[in-house]
Amino acid sequence: MISFSKDTCNDLIALYKTKKISLEGNILKVIKGGDSEFTKYIEEAKQRDNETRRKRLDITKQVQQQNKELIDSQAEREKLMTELQAALLESEKLRDAAVEDLETLQKRTQFELVGLIVKVALGIIGTVAFLTSILYFYVISKGLDAKIIESTWSNLFGILLTNSFSIIGTIMGVKYASGEKR
Amino acid sequence: MIDSILLVDDEDLFHLVFEDSCSLLDITLSLQSLTSSDEADRLFKKWFNEGPEEEKPECVFVDLNIIGSSFDGIELIRKINTEYGNGVVIGIISSSDDKQEIEKAKKVGAQFWIIKSDEIEPRLEAFRKDYEGFKNKTAAFKLYK
Repeated sequence: MISFSKDTCNDLIALYKTKKISLEGNILKVIKGGDSEFTKYIEEAKQRDNETRRKRLDITKQVQQQNKELIDSQAEREKLMTELQAALLESEKLRDAAVEDLETLQKRTQFELVGLIVKVALGIIGTVAFLTSILYFYVISKGLDAKIIESTWSNLFGILLTNSFSIIGTIMGVKYASGEKR
Repeated sequence: MIDSILLVDDEDLFHLVFEDSCSLLDITLSLQSLTSSDEADRLFKKWFNEGPEEEKPECVFVDLNIIGSSFDGIELIRKINTEYGNGVVIGIISSSDDKQEIEKAKKVGAQFWIIKSDEIEPRLEAFRKDYEGFKNKTAAFKLYK
């Protein structure tokens, strides 16, 4: 414990009375009280110091709490951002898959159309070839003049063979090309 | 009243809370606060090798996880108790109540574990009442929560 001289005690009391400035902190806990006036001064100074500390403690706790909430909200925001990025990535994958499906669908439609055209063309050629062949055999069996129908029949089969190979070639080419892409 | 306390905690705001709480509860006259276990390690090494012994604190409060330090609070307690001559009342002050960590702290010689929260004063008050037991090494390890 420490004690002050009478003059120092009086100066401290005067300073407190005139300017409201008093000792503060742990030093107050080691000062030995003098006369009743100085003892009262020490008690008041301790009370003021405690009030200041209590206020500061409450404010510090509030700031601590706000910091904690800020850190928590930041963590929550980062979590949301991560989820959002994952969702964005997933939606991009789905979009790519949808575009791919659409392309496949378009290709299939094109193949079906080509198939239909080939079938119709082959049907027409076949029918004409069949009818011409029947007509040709009928003319031969009846012993009629078959010169015109003969050349027509041979031309027709030439065209039929040429076109058939051309169609087969086209179909094979398209199939090969689409197979490469897949 | 405890003669001198050393607080090792990386959170500056907690230094203020601890200082004001100790002052309001008349726990100590002298409080030194550090933010890293490395700094505390250096000081204890110096006090152990060169002295002066009077500068050494009477009681040490160590945070469990000290960000920015080479080792945690439990390792600091182990070092103080085994490498730097012990001789202080030492324990953990942390927001964690992990049982495994508490067991580890007990094994390295921690005498108490105070859980940090908004209401730290009642725990410090209880600690103050038990302090003589810790000082005389008669009190068993205690968890304040």
